[in-house]
Amino acid sequence: MNHLREQIAVWGTIVDVDCYSQFVSDADLYLAMKQITDFCEDVDRDFSTYKEDSWITRLRLGKVAIEDCPDDVIEVWDLCAQAKWLSDGAFDPWAVKDGFDPSGLVKGWAADKCADMLVAAGVPHVQVNAAGDLALRGGWFDSAVEEIKPWSIGVVNPENRMEVVKVYEITDGAIATSGTYERGAHIRDPHTGLIAIGAASATVVGPAGWLCDAMATAVMVGGSDCAPWFGQPELQGYQVFAVNRHEETAWEI
Amino acid sequence: MKRALLIAGGTVGGLGAVLAITPPQLSTTSSINIAGGTAIGTTGTSSSASASSSTSSSAPAKSAKPVATKKATAGATTQPTASQSATATASAAATQTTAPVTTTIKDGTYTGPVINVNYGNVQVKITVSNGKITDAVAVKAPKGKNDRYTNMAVPILKAQTLQAQSANIQGASGASYTSYGWFKSLQGALADAGF
Repeated sequence: MNHLREQIAVWGTIVDVDCYSQFVSDADLYLAMKQITDFCEDVDRDFSTYKEDSWITRLRLGKVAIEDCPDDVIEVWDLCAQAKWLSDGAFDPWAVKDGFDPSGLVKGWAADKCADMLVAAGVPHVQVNAAGDLALRGGWFDSAVEEIKPWSIGVVNPENRMEVVKVYEITDGAIATSGTYERGAHIRDPHTGLIAIGAASATVVGPAGWLCDAMATAVMVGGSDCAPWFGQPELQGYQVFAVNRHEETAWEI
Repeated sequence: MKRALLIAGGTVGGLGAVLAITPPQLSTTSSINIAGGTAIGTTGTSSSASASSSTSSSAPAKSAKPVATKKATAGATTQPTASQSATATASAAATQTTAPVTTTIKDGTYTGPVINVNYGNVQVKITVSNGKITDAVAVKAPKGKNDRYTNMAVPILKAQTLQAQSANIQGASGASYTSYGWFKSLQGALADAGF
């Protein structure tokens, strides 16, 4: 079983990739890692709101229309529309002062893409951690006991970041956490423009990274009012864990 | 200081943990405290990513030791019979979680290199006592229009560095917002400290 773990510096943060394969050589693991590094850099080039000539910046400035954009940008745009609908508008990348900003969804989307690229390259056991948005595939290999186990992923208490408050065991799936500890109070309620007050942090676990990421952002805004969304058929298989503000309580589905 | 969290909510309107037709194989476990001796990302890597190597991976996860490998080797050479090897292996597995700290880690404070990120400089200083990182601070951090990165990222990164030693998980969701500058400077400080 070959193992490779690397950190990719991109998007102003670190994408931590941990993977195991019994099917490909160490050299091929490096090649696969290079492939996803290139993808991450492409995502930066196309989506970064800090780059003057990214597609997203040009969309925001009205210099291009969505139809002019490459397939990945259109895909993200469409997924944003789906997430907006599923969250009753609590997740709304268009209700942002300077224009369409898919940042609340892109990391989860990109983490999934990276994980799937690795699997397609013959690497079945993958953890892609894109600054708190994770895509997991195939569990991990515990060489001490020569067993594949589910990835154990900890959710950190936003009030005490040294404490892991919940652990999810995920073999295949995604997990995303949105919270005030990520980049400060940066999530605004699209309806009011005020800083989101629904939760201190929200974690969503489910099959698709883009949706986990978007829904976690939405629950930050809506708090426990968001609970009914998780009864929609499109959200079957999704779980949520949210820590309430100002109280030492949490709720989960 | 730990705060206990009470789980207040439950299921909504009959929705249980129903999985889709192709289940993502998820299950939840109860909350975990941060005691225990296994660092993030190193369980299962004892045979390949050694704790003392200076590869770019696993910067915070330096306290895992390839104990099982060492003891298994010892068992193989000194105890030739199958039953005795099995005993040696079993005892190696049993004692794995109480592995002593390696002696290459020296207590003290270590300051990593200054890393220039495109909005300023980042430099991390760590404090090591009893072989564990007890503090991590930014002695240089960017100011100005990217203050929000700085103000929030620094305390979060500190918490992540400290927590990484103790939880028996392979990854963390939420508090892993890191900056490349912090990561590189921390890596230098950890290497100096012998991690």
